[in-house]
Amino acid sequence: MPDKILSPNTDLVAPPEQRAAVAHAAAPASAAPPAVTPAGVALPSHAPVPAGVGTPVDDAVLADGAVLADDATPPPGDTGAGGQVRRRRHDLLAAAGPLLRRPGFILAGLFVVFVIVSGLAPSLFTSYNPSTTSPTDKLKGPSVHHLFGTDELGRDLFSRVLHGSTLTIKATGGAVLIAIIAGLTIGVVAGFFGGWVDSLLMRLVDILLAIPALLMALVIVTALGFGLLPIAIAVGTTITPTFARTTRAEVLRVKEQPYVEAARTGGASWGRVLVRHILPNSWGPVSVLAVLDFGTAVLVISSLSFLGFGTPPPAAEWGTLISNGRNFLVTSPWLSLLPGLFVGLVVFSLNHIARTFEEVQR
Amino acid sequence: MTTSHRHRTTRRLAATAVSVLAAVSLAACGSGGSSGGGTSGTSAAGGTQDGKPVPGGRLKIAFWSDFQSCIDPNQVYWIESRSIDRNLADSLTDQDPKTGKIVPWLATSWTVSPDATSYTFKLRQDVTFSDGTKLDANAVKTAYDGLHDLGAKSTLGLTYLSGYKGTTVVDPSTVKIDFATPNAAFLQASSTTTTAILSPATYKETPEARCAGKVVGSGEFTLDSYSAGKSAKLTKRAGYAWPSSLIANKGAAYLDGIDVSYIAEDNVRVGSLTNGTIDIAWPRQPITSADQQVIKASGATIETRALPGIIGLLIPNVTAGRPLADLQVRKALYKALDLSSYAKTVYWDDYPVAKSSVTSTTPYAADESAKLAHDPAGAGKLLDAAGWALGSDGYRHKDGKKLTLSYLTNAAGPGDQLVQDQLKKVGIDYQIKVVTAAQLTPTGNSGDWDLSGGYLTRADPSVLGSSLDQAVSKQYTAKYSQDPATAAKISALFAKGLSTADPTQRAAAYKDLQDALIDNGVAYPLYDRLQTAGVSGKVHGFAWTSESFLRANDIWLSK
Repeated sequence: MPDKILSPNTDLVAPPEQRAAVAHAAAPASAAPPAVTPAGVALPSHAPVPAGVGTPVDDAVLADGAVLADDATPPPGDTGAGGQVRRRRHDLLAAAGPLLRRPGFILAGLFVVFVIVSGLAPSLFTSYNPSTTSPTDKLKGPSVHHLFGTDELGRDLFSRVLHGSTLTIKATGGAVLIAIIAGLTIGVVAGFFGGWVDSLLMRLVDILLAIPALLMALVIVTALGFGLLPIAIAVGTTITPTFARTTRAEVLRVKEQPYVEAARTGGASWGRVLVRHILPNSWGPVSVLAVLDFGTAVLVISSLSFLGFGTPPPAAEWGTLISNGRNFLVTSPWLSLLPGLFVGLVVFSLNHIARTFEEVQR
Repeated sequence: MTTSHRHRTTRRLAATAVSVLAAVSLAACGSGGSSGGGTSGTSAAGGTQDGKPVPGGRLKIAFWSDFQSCIDPNQVYWIESRSIDRNLADSLTDQDPKTGKIVPWLATSWTVSPDATSYTFKLRQDVTFSDGTKLDANAVKTAYDGLHDLGAKSTLGLTYLSGYKGTTVVDPSTVKIDFATPNAAFLQASSTTTTAILSPATYKETPEARCAGKVVGSGEFTLDSYSAGKSAKLTKRAGYAWPSSLIANKGAAYLDGIDVSYIAEDNVRVGSLTNGTIDIAWPRQPITSADQQVIKASGATIETRALPGIIGLLIPNVTAGRPLADLQVRKALYKALDLSSYAKTVYWDDYPVAKSSVTSTTPYAADESAKLAHDPAGAGKLLDAAGWALGSDGYRHKDGKKLTLSYLTNAAGPGDQLVQDQLKKVGIDYQIKVVTAAQLTPTGNSGDWDLSGGYLTRADPSVLGSSLDQAVSKQYTAKYSQDPATAAKISALFAKGLSTADPTQRAAAYKDLQDALIDNGVAYPLYDRLQTAGVSGKVHGFAWTSESFLRANDIWLSK
């Protein structure tokens, strides 16, 4: 990969040929001309793909957005999109009204709130100790006494799921926090400084993205040891790249805005521009992504603990519970299915919430 | 921008949907397995019952795992591989599973010197290996020398041949095996798969090549192919005519061959049995009572035999400074463990309760159950006396330190969590330290644990030595479980048990040993070991060896 992908004059903005390519490709059934910069440096192959044609990836959005921000005459077919991007605001408070008119969102929200509260204070919802065995009550089906039934040692499964929430919430929260901090930092630095810093950071992110998430999480957990913190770090590392990419794209868009230029012209320091103007205006999509990634993180964490990398027994994360019930799938299916359904609902709710946010923002 | 976001959301939603679907279809698979099993079961039950054996067919058997990934009978300790090997290679003697008596096999008769240092075997004349070589005294010498040369590569051979001096060819059909120190357990060892006699050509291969399948025996089956951890294929040997007297079928096997596979998931293995994909499901842990019902409902049967050898043990680390260095604490631990509840909860209601350091089917097994009685109050008193006072958190403390015992394992099962809860009731914090299989031995050797587990299969109580006798074993369980004074006492008792061929004296010696192991807090019997196998209704003539391995000579399949 050449050091300078983009010509120095246009900084991070795509060179004229690329813009032409974008405009050209937007017209149907026309092949994009060879993407070559004036300096004769080949462009990254994915750069000329515009949004709406082929698979829209973050980079395409970036190229598209960047072009629109810079170009006085937007290419046909994308008319108005630039204006929409410019007008977009991430005021979640103002969006609260439309949110409350969606019953699906309210249900999902209530369930997530229930999971969080029950995870933080499980004893509010169950009187059973999650690790107290009761051999005479083993493998009892779901009933009024045991909502989720009992496991092979007679422990109350509902109580174990709720106490498992504590661990899963902690791990998920940790993972997403790590991803937000690391992703925001990488994205802002890359987008803001551009040049070789951008190239270097984005290639690192590319490498991370090239490794399957679960595989990398497994490698990290094996290296760090089993337990809650290693899992949080592992999962955080695997979801960082998407945060970095999204943040970078947003920063690229925002930093070309007139008010940023105005602030600079007005004498504001780079640091001040970054903290007061760029960061607050770019982190809207990142926050939506964060909600989405809570769902992803829950899944990956459950997968890891399913594979036996979780906290040591008797503590049990959701994945551990599902895994423990495997051997009883035929005879006592609730042992695996109820925790599995619970995890499924949590992830579904989180995704629904994220989607609703996104729709409302639009 | 918006388009891309919506696409990403769709992708993620799709991912979620797929995972939910996967969970649901998994459940469907499970229930499908049992219903499918029901139909195939009825057809099997309606088939030929007993009667005249029908030759032909291949027996499909599924084990749970092939951890050691080795098929060489001389080197394996892995129970499942030994079950395969029993049908590939013959030994000098055989052991009656009912009485424990040693009976002729490749050797027609033998004499043992009174001090148990010299064994002379008379060999059968008509035996050949599957490569055509004749079995004679030289072949036996090559085999025993080869086994001895393996050294530590053969975990079991090391103790079976403890004190081995050499094998002498007296005449082509007579061999004499000599030991420098008495080895009274050797006659039993000569009946095991570990001392199976392989063709002289086999010993020209490297140990690694032998592990990977370059083994030629004289058994009623030959090894076609072995793919470590995946499969093994056996074909019957035409013209086989030298089984031991324990076997009804005096000629070649009825089966055309045996297909071995490995299925790790209990569920899948049971499902494969009930839907007829496999004929025998052979797990390591006893089949759960719930799964037994599923198997029986399909028309298959459950075969059960107690495994001889070391019982499921917890072995303490008594290094100074660790909580279990104190004999009082070790004694309290016996009283804190509820073995009867363990057997009932982890297995089923009439599952045998652990009574000693060896299982109930091991010759010379003693009954130590009076010393192993559950007495939480007594445990509390002992711990109080040892200075461990109950704190407000429900755990015991001494000099500001919590009474924490860390249990080293690479696979924590429900039993471990039951023990955890039992010990919690007397104020002991039992931490389950899960490490990967690769880390187990290094961590064990480092001594950074308080309790570790262990069991081993052999139909002789001297097998305890491989885990606990510091004079013989290099394992961490032997190294850390006894202080020097106790170790001297224990090693002397092991030596005494091996020093005489007289059964009465051996029984007395091993009774003393089993007493000493409990009195000194060297080993904690936890669970008795049953080998269970789910056997399809079309399999007839299923038989166990004395070590609870598979014996396929008499097996035939109804059509």
